[in-house]
Amino acid sequence: MRLPAFEYLEPRDRQEALDYLARYSENASILAGGSDLLVRMKQRLVRTSYVISLKHLKDLDGIRPDEDGRLCLGSNTPLVSIIRSPLLQGAYRGLTDAIRRIGAPPIQHYRGTIGGNLCLETRCLYYNQSAFWRSGRPRCQKDGGEICYAEENSDRCRSANVSDGACALMALDAEIVLESREGERSLPIEEFFTGKGESPFARSPDELVTTIRLPAPETAFGSSFRKLTYRSAIDFALVSASAGVKVEAGRIARARIAVGGAGAAPLLLREASEKLLGKSPEDGDAVAETAAQAGRHAAAFMVDNLGATLEYRQKMAAVLVRKAVQEALARAENGNARGRRER
Amino acid sequence: MKKIPVSMTVNDDEVDIYVPAHWTLLDVLREELELTGAKEGCGEGVCGSCTVLMDGHPVRSCLTLAAEARGARVLTVEGLGGPGMELDPLQQAFIEKGAVQCGFCTPGMLMTAKALLDSKPEATEQEVREAISGNICRCTGYAKIVEAILDASHKSET
Repeated sequence: MRLPAFEYLEPRDRQEALDYLARYSENASILAGGSDLLVRMKQRLVRTSYVISLKHLKDLDGIRPDEDGRLCLGSNTPLVSIIRSPLLQGAYRGLTDAIRRIGAPPIQHYRGTIGGNLCLETRCLYYNQSAFWRSGRPRCQKDGGEICYAEENSDRCRSANVSDGACALMALDAEIVLESREGERSLPIEEFFTGKGESPFARSPDELVTTIRLPAPETAFGSSFRKLTYRSAIDFALVSASAGVKVEAGRIARARIAVGGAGAAPLLLREASEKLLGKSPEDGDAVAETAAQAGRHAAAFMVDNLGATLEYRQKMAAVLVRKAVQEALARAENGNARGRRER
Repeated sequence: MKKIPVSMTVNDDEVDIYVPAHWTLLDVLREELELTGAKEGCGEGVCGSCTVLMDGHPVRSCLTLAAEARGARVLTVEGLGGPGMELDPLQQAFIEKGAVQCGFCTPGMLMTAKALLDSKPEATEQEVREAISGNICRCTGYAKIVEAILDASHKSET
């Protein structure tokens, strides 16, 4: 399968990349590892005149703490460096677990990058198909048309965010730093996603995601990630869940639960997360209740467009949330025990 | 069509060519260099039959632009054996264990296995299975492929 023709641009540094983005704007696409962009180009899902390669932008590759102890992940850091980083153990296990489940371990990990995974386009069974497959009927909303094949009479695109990294980063309360020639801005991860299937990201065409910032590591904080797929490698999530919890004085002090595969953004379940606050980490009923509510809310955002039946994915959303919360709590308590021993 | 210069090392040969900017590494290997060992299966990064090593790491050559491979050391299945017709221990093991049926996935399997054994000469069965989890084989059921890779791994120890 041949790629359509385009002009290949190879900026030497960040400034040159931002200049290209300012000049070519929506006619340009940013190439990181290529495992999403090039497939979509082959399928003629994205038409682009210029491809801007990030390969020389070495300063975007790396993981460093900033002066406030927050961890800054350069957007062009390969997935394999995230998995192997000693800085991303402990509190951040939810992220490394998620990254490990992306694609196939030996291959995508050397090409795929954390920024690329964060910007994984939303997917739908009726959209992510060859040009020939799609040519048999009118275009869908994501493809520039007016029909939705996933949900009858839908007035908008119902494609889903299935990025494992994005789901885990949502539970970790990450911050996304965007840069353009005009300057820099940072968005809480909730605001980085628009929730619109047609245009899922708040990135404007002249901006580049440069850094993903994680809160400073804490003791007694645990995170986790669960993903439902048919195969243990290659597959995108049918549904996924991630949790980040903080335990203080034997009570759950903070909780963030996110579900992937339910809507165009990783779904942050605030209400369900709040049910956990003040509860003991051993309170199985509270966890079950939270998971059930999270499942109900997530189910409302799901449509039948990712493979597996809708009913199965909806049921599994609650199961994955329960397992993710249990694991995050266990990890938070282990961290707590370790913290006590060290003191 | 605008062509761009690409210089890289392919199986120990220095290659300097001009190719269209939208060509993938796989296009260059197969169409320009006539190295047809790497296969195009899905063309979308799912099947793994186009796997080659770039600076020692397995990559999907169908999803790697030729321009991105500039300056890299590329190893394809043609470069796997020794000089002459000598086979790599992995290739020999694939033959002895009957790990090849239709053969379409074999070059990708070999290259993925090569990268694994280069970094972990004493790989366990679990590590082998994880390593080839991105390579699809529709004939063998994987059992013989896993056996062959483990066999080659044990031989390299002695």
